Amino acid sequence: MAYLDGELPTDQATQTLSHMELCPECQTLAADFRGVSQELMAWEVESSEVGIPSMINAALGERHQKPEAAKVNSPRLENRVLTSRWVWAGALAIVCVAVGLTLTVTSRNRNEDRSTAYASMASIEQYLIQNRNAEIALARSAAPEAISNNAKILVFGWQGYETAIEGKNGFVCMVERSWMSPFNSAEFWNPKVRVPMCFNPAAARSILPLTIKRTEMILAGISKAQMIDSIKAGFDNKELPLPESGAMCYMMSRAGYLNDALGHFVPHLMFYFPLTDKSSWGADLRDSPVTLNPQFRDGPEPITEFVIPVGKWSDGTAAPVM
Amino acid sequence: MTSDEALMLEFQGGSRAAFEELFARYRKPLYGFFGRRLNNPERAEDLTQETFLAVIRAASRYEPRASVRTYLYGIALKLLAAERRKLLISGALGRSVPEAKTDGTPECVLWVRQALEKLDAPEREILMLREYEQLSYSDIAELLRIPLNTVRSRLFRSRLALKSYLESEAKTNPDLRASAEQPRPGRRGMQ
Repeated sequence: MAYLDGELPTDQATQTLSHMELCPECQTLAADFRGVSQELMAWEVESSEVGIPSMINAALGERHQKPEAAKVNSPRLENRVLTSRWVWAGALAIVCVAVGLTLTVTSRNRNEDRSTAYASMASIEQYLIQNRNAEIALARSAAPEAISNNAKILVFGWQGYETAIEGKNGFVCMVERSWMSPFNSAEFWNPKVRVPMCFNPAAARSILPLTIKRTEMILAGISKAQMIDSIKAGFDNKELPLPESGAMCYMMSRAGYLNDALGHFVPHLMFYFPLTDKSSWGADLRDSPVTLNPQFRDGPEPITEFVIPVGKWSDGTAAPVM
Repeated sequence: MTSDEALMLEFQGGSRAAFEELFARYRKPLYGFFGRRLNNPERAEDLTQETFLAVIRAASRYEPRASVRTYLYGIALKLLAAERRKLLISGALGRSVPEAKTDGTPECVLWVRQALEKLDAPEREILMLREYEQLSYSDIAELLRIPLNTVRSRLFRSRLALKSYLESEAKTNPDLRASAEQPRPGRRGMQ
């Protein structure tokens, strides 16, 4: 049930996913529970009110004026307040210094923890998913079954990505690892990262080669600086293609693990373009559902990537509101 | 899109626009929270406003320890508990649910409401927080101050009970089941 709610850690979710493919009882129970959720959604509640009610407007106005209203008129009281102000100011200063020191140390420790936790590459075993079927299931979970059931499936092995299942519809599903993060990401080597993706045919031709190239270089033990140079050269000499028109991918898995900060995040679609101003899509503007993905920002790949969240996971269940 | 937490901090710093954005995002969900639990649209509207008033009053003390979503539902749960205490004292609590207005309410909604009322109160609350408010297990555990495993087990029990109830009702009243299973145009606009 925690799997249905997207509450399992990635490794357990992938195990559950592969178990469910073989367990009719679990499939029935999952379908029943989804049915219950769907029927509960029949109860919708609509409020007739629009705009900010006057009572809240008044409270907002009051909050805005409060600092001015706090002025003191009585001289005696003012003296007392002033005297006590100095006492309080002194006490506050001591507390601030103490708290500041504590926060600085804590914050520094936290930042150090984050930046040093994945300072270098872990052993290859930690990036592998031992159960091949689990990786296939996880890759497929990136897109609705209508797409992923006929897609080509790649799995990551000791030699890099290899074809596990041939596809029929031109889509390619796979699970990316942490080294597809920006080069300056603190989680570039995070071995827990599992990112299920289903590329459409245009992205399979023009974006997937990047994943393959980065992975080959990682396995060859090339440094980040060399990787960056090699990718730049790859684009310069046309060995690496620019995104084709219409290139996009599905990332609708509830079992993925994008990084320590985002977990499985929310289901979304990604769209790829040669370097483009984000304003052309209205990305990152107030109320815009489009976000500029930082994956390639400031990186060697001349690619702009937009993210649009969607309301459902690939299995059709409702996703949390962002 | 600016995160709720960033908006809350902007509001703390004096931005009225940030508050208006939070209000726009959460007014309907909070109204739904109270509406489903009280079956009294007027009080639901009042308590939704009181939740936002509490946010305004406590803005200076806000610390981004939990998500704004959890923070808001924490306030809403406290207001709901106070409302229920008032209803209990006035003797209206037991009467309010059966007497909730049903005119114009689709049968499938009545059916869901009846099914939920069959659940034990603690299990119902967890199920509703998960299904309608879409809170995570850990958020629910924190809000209700119960262990995470209790959230899991109660959620499982409540879904199982609801499934059994819906199945038994479907056998005795197949027309009702059919109306509940009809495709719906969207997730808004009923009641």
